[in-house]
Amino acid sequence: MSKPEFVYVIYIASTPEKVFKALTDEKTSEQYWVGNRVVSDWKIGAPFALKLKREEKDVTGKVLEFDPPRRLAYSFRAAHAGMEAEPPSRVTFELEPQKDQVKLTIVHDQFEPGSKAFESVSRGWPLVLSSLKSYLETGKVLHAPWYETASA
Amino acid sequence: MRKPEFIYVTYIETTPEKLWQALTSSEFSKRYWFNTELKTDWKVGSPFALVMDGTTTDVGEVLEFDRPRRLSYTFHHVLSEAARKERPTKVVFVLEPHGKIVKLTLTHEDFEAGSALLNGISKGWPAILSGLKSLLETGTALEIPPAALAIEGLQ
Repeated sequence: MSKPEFVYVIYIASTPEKVFKALTDEKTSEQYWVGNRVVSDWKIGAPFALKLKREEKDVTGKVLEFDPPRRLAYSFRAAHAGMEAEPPSRVTFELEPQKDQVKLTIVHDQFEPGSKAFESVSRGWPLVLSSLKSYLETGKVLHAPWYETASA
Repeated sequence: MRKPEFIYVTYIETTPEKLWQALTSSEFSKRYWFNTELKTDWKVGSPFALVMDGTTTDVGEVLEFDRPRRLSYTFHHVLSEAARKERPTKVVFVLEPHGKIVKLTLTHEDFEAGSALLNGISKGWPAILSGLKSLLETGTALEIPPAALAIEGLQ
């Protein structure tokens, strides 16, 4: 049985520097990341946290790669909704300038087969990255009313 | 083995009606779909063709036209020998409104194992749907050079 992985590509009318900053800046992330925020000093090996607005326990991990504005990677371990027992997975962002856009690719992998976290992030990333795109292109955030019921 | 299909979900601040129009009208598709026209009368069973810069790239048949909820057509790429030999695949768009946003789910399925086409469409759709989102939210489509997708056979 193969290990699940989530791959998603989105093109954003912005610069690699702006997109990279949005992915790594705590205040900015709170704007588009449906109320959650990324916290880290981004040194390799340093702790990484995704502080969750609606859960008791945050996502934690370690910074694996920090190569602005091209590549960013961190390990990812959720501790809520029955996912505590799962080993950390890995998130890698690749940013490629394409004319006036950035081609942003996320690979979220290193899940065990049957992982609950995989199901959860597969639903979450398209929303977060759509929201990031709207935020950078229009200055406004997507309003996600259904997120409150966690049924996305 | 993973099922050969491509699924893409995006969230767009628009109405289902506007999104539906953008998915079914050449006036819109030319702006975000690499200058492609959608040639069909959209009746179920009618033929359907994608025409890019005057060249027919894909043909198919309308399967579902349930405005503004579900749109589906078969999809047969005709530009390359390898793609022509494969059986037609199926494209399904599902539009779900949530307040001010529409969740758009694209499923492109029924690929043969080892399909030559699956890789190409996996690169094409994110660019097309990113462009569509930008067009509906900002009024301007993205200008992604097709060559940047690095799909064999697509200039």
